[in-house]
Amino acid sequence: MALRDLLKGFPFQRWLTPKACRPLPLVFSQFREVLKANNQALEIIADMGEKLSGEYLFDLRYVEATVEEMIAAMRRAIGAINILTQDQCATLHEVFASMEARVRAILTKRDDREGPPLLWLAEVETRHWPLVGGKAAHLSELLNNPKVRVPEGFVITSRLFHDLLDLNGIRPEFDLFEQALAESDVNEDQLDLLRQALQKKVLSAEPPSGFLDALAGFLQRLADLGGLPLFLAVRSSAQEEDMDFSFAGQFHSELQVPPQAEPVYRAYLQVAASLFGAKAIRYRRQVFPEGGPMSIAACCQRMIPARASGIIYSVDPMEPGSQKMVVVGALGQGQAVVEGQVPTDFFRLSKEEAPRIVEQIIAAKHEALLATGGMDGGLAMQEVPEGQVEAPCLDEPILLELAAAAIHLETFFKRPQDIEWTLGQDGVLYILQSRPLLITESAREKHLLSEKLEGYELIAADSGRVAQQGIGAGPAFWVETLADLKEFPEGAVLISHRDSSQFVQVMHRASAIVTQVGSPTSHMATLCRELRVPCLVGVSDIMDKVANGEEITVDAEDRRIYRGRAVELLTYQATTTMDLHMAPEFRMLRRILREVSRLNLVDPLMQEFSPEGCKTFHDVLRFIHETAVLHLVELGRDDRCLPGGLARRLDLPIQAGILAIDIGGGIAPDAPRDQIPFSAVRSIPFRAILQGMLFPGAWHQEAMQVSFQDMMHSMMTTPQDTLSGQYTGHNIAIISETYVNLCFRFGYHFNIIDAFCHDVERDNHIYFRFLGGATDIAKRSRRATLIATILEAFDFSVKTKGDLVIARTGNLAQPEMERTLDILGRLIGFTRQLDVQMTDDQAVARYAEAFLMGDYGIVAGK
Amino acid sequence: MSETNMRLLVVDDEPIVGKRLKQVFGKIGFAIETYTDSVAALAAMAEKPFDIVVTDLKMEGIDGIEVLKRVRAMNPETRVIIITGYASPDTAELADREGVFAFLAKPFRLDELKQVIYRAMETDGLKA
Repeated sequence: MALRDLLKGFPFQRWLTPKACRPLPLVFSQFREVLKANNQALEIIADMGEKLSGEYLFDLRYVEATVEEMIAAMRRAIGAINILTQDQCATLHEVFASMEARVRAILTKRDDREGPPLLWLAEVETRHWPLVGGKAAHLSELLNNPKVRVPEGFVITSRLFHDLLDLNGIRPEFDLFEQALAESDVNEDQLDLLRQALQKKVLSAEPPSGFLDALAGFLQRLADLGGLPLFLAVRSSAQEEDMDFSFAGQFHSELQVPPQAEPVYRAYLQVAASLFGAKAIRYRRQVFPEGGPMSIAACCQRMIPARASGIIYSVDPMEPGSQKMVVVGALGQGQAVVEGQVPTDFFRLSKEEAPRIVEQIIAAKHEALLATGGMDGGLAMQEVPEGQVEAPCLDEPILLELAAAAIHLETFFKRPQDIEWTLGQDGVLYILQSRPLLITESAREKHLLSEKLEGYELIAADSGRVAQQGIGAGPAFWVETLADLKEFPEGAVLISHRDSSQFVQVMHRASAIVTQVGSPTSHMATLCRELRVPCLVGVSDIMDKVANGEEITVDAEDRRIYRGRAVELLTYQATTTMDLHMAPEFRMLRRILREVSRLNLVDPLMQEFSPEGCKTFHDVLRFIHETAVLHLVELGRDDRCLPGGLARRLDLPIQAGILAIDIGGGIAPDAPRDQIPFSAVRSIPFRAILQGMLFPGAWHQEAMQVSFQDMMHSMMTTPQDTLSGQYTGHNIAIISETYVNLCFRFGYHFNIIDAFCHDVERDNHIYFRFLGGATDIAKRSRRATLIATILEAFDFSVKTKGDLVIARTGNLAQPEMERTLDILGRLIGFTRQLDVQMTDDQAVARYAEAFLMGDYGIVAGK
Repeated sequence: MSETNMRLLVVDDEPIVGKRLKQVFGKIGFAIETYTDSVAALAAMAEKPFDIVVTDLKMEGIDGIEVLKRVRAMNPETRVIIITGYASPDTAELADREGVFAFLAKPFRLDELKQVIYRAMETDGLKA
């Protein structure tokens, strides 16, 4: 209806061009429909994401209602792109259907039973987290972290747990048990009977058919990876375990399990049954009373023959404010350490860039837990040779390596960590698990926090907006260009003028982010929430107040920034952040957003940029937007689809030879029919480009001397983009108030700029394409490299291939769009005939430098 | 205006609300007590008055409007703020008649509540 209204009274006959071409205004209005639908969906996603920042109070009802709205908006967006592209994106329907099913599974709390029963740790993605449990999720993240080593392995997922319940007729008792547990008035005797019955049944559960064969296949592949003899550590990975709660030692682990399917399956049953252990149930009721039903997965990893093992705390729990870390360790396997079976060495290390050992107490270690050496596995206490009893279990270099790893993991997970490590016989340090370290502080001290903080100079108060709550401290590190990210130090606070999703490169190393401009709904903010990086945006004067390298503390809860390291605040954080993330509404929203808001399809120039490559809602929307843009780009390329008789010449002070086709609001209504002056151009993006082209010195009128050889080349090659038709030899601009599609067919090269620009940041895009030239391929390619270099300096994502350059940018605020388009206008003028001068590779750097410095005269040899 | 020793009571049957507000307001120096049960909350108020009461609207037993009425009867100085996910113009009007200080719809930003509470502290009778 709205569309028809919009087009009412339009002189369609004049726009109707040869068959298969839809009228331009219709295509453009369909494009805008896509943007509108996309925006609605993105706004809902951003809104949900913002709730996760910790800044809001919301309930489950909100989550459910908003998910429904979001799904409806996604369907509208998919519908709109299929109208625009005439069903070229029909596969999106299927792709989205499976995403929708996953989100609905989360809402109905079934997301821990939909997926494969076996998964390689290295292949675990965020969408698998509910299925693999907290510990495995953490380990899979660590496995992809080049700074630490994690033993390889796979996960028996909670899918198997549910299959066992269903296949063995245990489900009714399980439901009864969970129901009893959820009641406020628990009948202890009944609960205990149920618990024991469940344990017994789980221990004797039969596997689904084919499972043991599949398991044997995984074990074989693990054995094939090398490192003999293979034994396994089968450890519990319960839902939520390690993510939000420690669950330390609550569930069963089996170590040194022989690598055959039967014993590994039996070990899993032991782990699964421990979910109903008296100890685990007591813990659950204490710390996790509103948790709902739980399931359990198991991590099966290669057992590392251990020289020594133990624990490192990235914060000393006894003195959280002391900037010290604590290591305990013993010889052999770590189970003896965590269960307190052997005396341990104790080390205290300073927590700084180059940690030092500040204290060590070495125990007499007469025994160590080691492999029995038999084929059927098992561990046993064994006597330590005389010479090693009194020696430290770790030497200094390994201790320092361990300390550095702990500091890294704390920054990586944004919380103090409790880390289990083992030093292999091969001298390699492995991380077995890393979980949040719980620190308790007396209520009295908490109350005094505001007084203690008065001792710190307040750099900013009530300034900016919270993108992600949290507290972080470290040296301020200014990021002025994206190249600075390469130098970003571990644990620093990122300070920048504007926000950028490129910061994701260093988020794992950043303790906080503060920007002068930006919004809590930007891509960067979404990423901050995913990675839990405390972040304040819109702190307008931060760069005036904080020197590069100066230590600061960012409180992205109360929107305050302190000079120095406010250890009291950091201690406070370590003692309190748990509560929030453990609330059921937060956990559900977080899970949903994992399926929804992460952006994997970052680069449209990559191969996986296809409907099938979409993993999240956000990917789908990104794909839709890019596809819509590409659809528009094609508009100007094919003369056959351009209407005749509507093109109007521009009257510019330069000889650019541009014909404009106005599809709505691009030219002032009172402008002359022909010879339109610059002042009558109303199109925001087109005007900005023209402004750049008209910039003094940017446009070179003189024709370049083309050598005979270059002439020959140009005569033999014609850029493949040039299509012949009524406008051959003309430069065409299809414009509206907010849009331009500008096609230059200068001499022998072909250049498209397609841009949409208005006040909604995320609608905005620029697509730039350049091809060809009059000279030989070497010179043309150099010009392409020059253009790419300049565009990269302006944060375009760029791809070059020979003399072809494709560059994109977008999601920029209108003023920034206009600035960028102005630069493109200058670049068009600057590089127009420049291939002639690209005689050697050095010329590329020289001319790029000149352009970036604003020295456009270099082209004319001035 | 000073947060220190300002007495704040929160009653909401969703535990997340009390937990969260305890963190936020405890950190900046309020003396805060939280309840998930309105009867227990009223008993605490009867013992010693609070400066500010934040209450949910829909609760089992005694609902937010009733809490508001009783608090106003016990101690007219107390400022009552109602938070709710079910805001309808009718209840807002009713609460207004009963002397509610402010009405906040869930989900809301914690900062919004903070500002409302600061405003409540600035009104007569509560200046430190």
